[in-house]
Amino acid sequence: MRKILCILMVGILFLLTGCSGNTGNQGKKNGPVTITIWHDKEDAVIAVLQDAVKALEPDIMVAFEKKTGMTESLKLVGNDKNAAPDMYFFAHDKIGVYAEMGILTPITELLGENALAGYVPLTVKGATYKGRLYQVPLYFETLLFMYNKKYIAEKDVPATTEQLYAYMQRKTKYGHYGFVEQHSTPYYAAGWIHGFGGSLINDEGAPCLDSAEAKAALAYHKKFVDYMPGETEYATVNTLFTEGMAHATIAGPWFVPTVRAAGINVGIAPMPIVDETGLPLAPYSGIQGLHVLKVQAAQKRDAIVKVLETLMQPEVSVKLAKVSGCAPAVESCYTLEEVTADPLIMAMKQTAETAIPMPNIPEMDVMWTVAGNLLVNVNMSGQDIEPASAEAQKKALELIEAMK
Amino acid sequence: MKQPKEKQTGKKTAIAYLVSVPSLILIFLIVVFPILYTGYISLTNMNTYHWFSFDIIGFRNYERALLVFDSGFLSALLMTVVWTAVNMALQLLIAFLISNLLNVKHLPLRNVYKTILMFPWAMPGYVSILLWKTGMFNSQFGLLTQWMEDLSGLTIRWLQNDVSAFICCTVVNLWLALPFMIMIMDGGLKSIDRSYYESATLDGAGPIRQAISITLPCLKPIIGPSVMITLFTTFKQFDVIYLMTQQVGSQTGAHIHTIITYAYENAFITNNYGYSSAISIMIFVLLILFAQVMNRKKKGANT
Repeated sequence: MRKILCILMVGILFLLTGCSGNTGNQGKKNGPVTITIWHDKEDAVIAVLQDAVKALEPDIMVAFEKKTGMTESLKLVGNDKNAAPDMYFFAHDKIGVYAEMGILTPITELLGENALAGYVPLTVKGATYKGRLYQVPLYFETLLFMYNKKYIAEKDVPATTEQLYAYMQRKTKYGHYGFVEQHSTPYYAAGWIHGFGGSLINDEGAPCLDSAEAKAALAYHKKFVDYMPGETEYATVNTLFTEGMAHATIAGPWFVPTVRAAGINVGIAPMPIVDETGLPLAPYSGIQGLHVLKVQAAQKRDAIVKVLETLMQPEVSVKLAKVSGCAPAVESCYTLEEVTADPLIMAMKQTAETAIPMPNIPEMDVMWTVAGNLLVNVNMSGQDIEPASAEAQKKALELIEAMK
Repeated sequence: MKQPKEKQTGKKTAIAYLVSVPSLILIFLIVVFPILYTGYISLTNMNTYHWFSFDIIGFRNYERALLVFDSGFLSALLMTVVWTAVNMALQLLIAFLISNLLNVKHLPLRNVYKTILMFPWAMPGYVSILLWKTGMFNSQFGLLTQWMEDLSGLTIRWLQNDVSAFICCTVVNLWLALPFMIMIMDGGLKSIDRSYYESATLDGAGPIRQAISITLPCLKPIIGPSVMITLFTTFKQFDVIYLMTQQVGSQTGAHIHTIITYAYENAFITNNYGYSSAISIMIFVLLILFAQVMNRKKKGANT
């Protein structure tokens, strides 16, 4: 009996000590330095990065670790030098949260004040929080206006929203839709609000859901929603397009391979211009890049700088753009023929002139839910815009207050 | 030399506790510690702006949390009670009927039916819920929608209206929860002595009388703990209602909230862990009170 008890106790102690083990992530004083980068990307993208940093071996070994639930993991271990990665590769929209938590290092402290000179302005804006740069952008994505060439000839692509509306009225019948989008999802509907000069939230973190521009956009957008399916979700909208039942859609570049695999002859066109304002639909943009954890920056500064400088080379950006289907963050890439020859990348570059980076302020975290509820209330539950907007604005203010 | 009886009993008790130590430690780590830690965090200002340098701020989070317990929370609480009552009643009734059918004498392919009935249990809940949402209720591709279109020519948006969304969520919850209840009831039915039924048959009792006078009283103590577990699981249900109607990016227009989905939408998305913890503790207290009421009722029914 005593023997069994002893074994049990030793087992538990072993488990407990095992739970607190570190990742073996710390730099060694002698020998190679290991740089760990957490990411959530597909293998092809990481293979490009891995290939690029091979040149730094054997002095610097870079380990890419795919993490599910990375944003939550960073909150938990972001300042633990035994568990935190050295960098993470993710979209820019969490920069504000992590900067406020104090786990990020401004990249200018590592690469100098002109670190992002020569980058696409949109990407620099996305990487900036409270006047400081926290990300090395690698590539960016914007939503695109896609159409099925079987139904719409290039010369007939709606150039304005009223032309699009007229097309929807004509073609939405017998199970077909002239145009579909995730109409009640803030990431997609924001383009319409921006097209009216409004926004979901301003740079100071104040919600703008009851602004005149936002309300005008909601009212105008609603007439388009009436010609779209009841569902607003990704799967339904995209399946309608890949099945050839929707003639046009707004979707991200990640959708193009699926569309092509489905045998759709897809065309990419500029975003329609809102007739009332003369502004194009201006979607949100996501900037994917590297962020450096403060807790590791001090002890591995030189190695981190070398890795960043290697991955900032324009040729890496071009390779990344090709495998990810996104647009390079470095402006000089757009002089290269292999980039200019790609209509998808050039369409994104064109949209980037008017696209707006997703807000990277912490307050945006609550806006996705509140703005989503507002869109659903107006588009799907038939609530009046005026009271629905006022209620959403009140709720957003309450939740932002509750954040502090 | 023989040890005194008291000393022997004391030694046995000590050994019993000693043997239980590993599981007690595990229970402490997995169950008790998170509750205590949540209680501690609820007394701090841990949020995005004070993530690693938070301070104790007393009961201020609780004062603010009371604001969440507004009219919206009360209607969510009422909805939770209705949701729990409807689901429990249907679960017990359907599981009772199915498990009785499974115990019909000389039923062919009994094990095949049992395996099929256990199937929803083997699937991850998340997958089941999304399959139901897309495969059955979707207004473009859902099987139910297409049947209705063929029968009546109408396109029904099952999840857009509060009442129909509630019914759809109940159906999915039953799909997920029934296997457990059927399994427990099936086991319970098997443990009832067959001689009771033989005597009842000799006394002229029919199947319904036998079910009321023998099956139900014998099943009650066996399924009691399972009913309690299911009751709490249903009461604090989140994933069925959230994934079916409220998931960001695929909301449907229905506004059915249980206390957990309401708390999630009004506190947990704020990244204010102090505030969210205070609300979690208050919901925890509510559940404890609910358990106490249920236990008292159970004791009352037993005496």
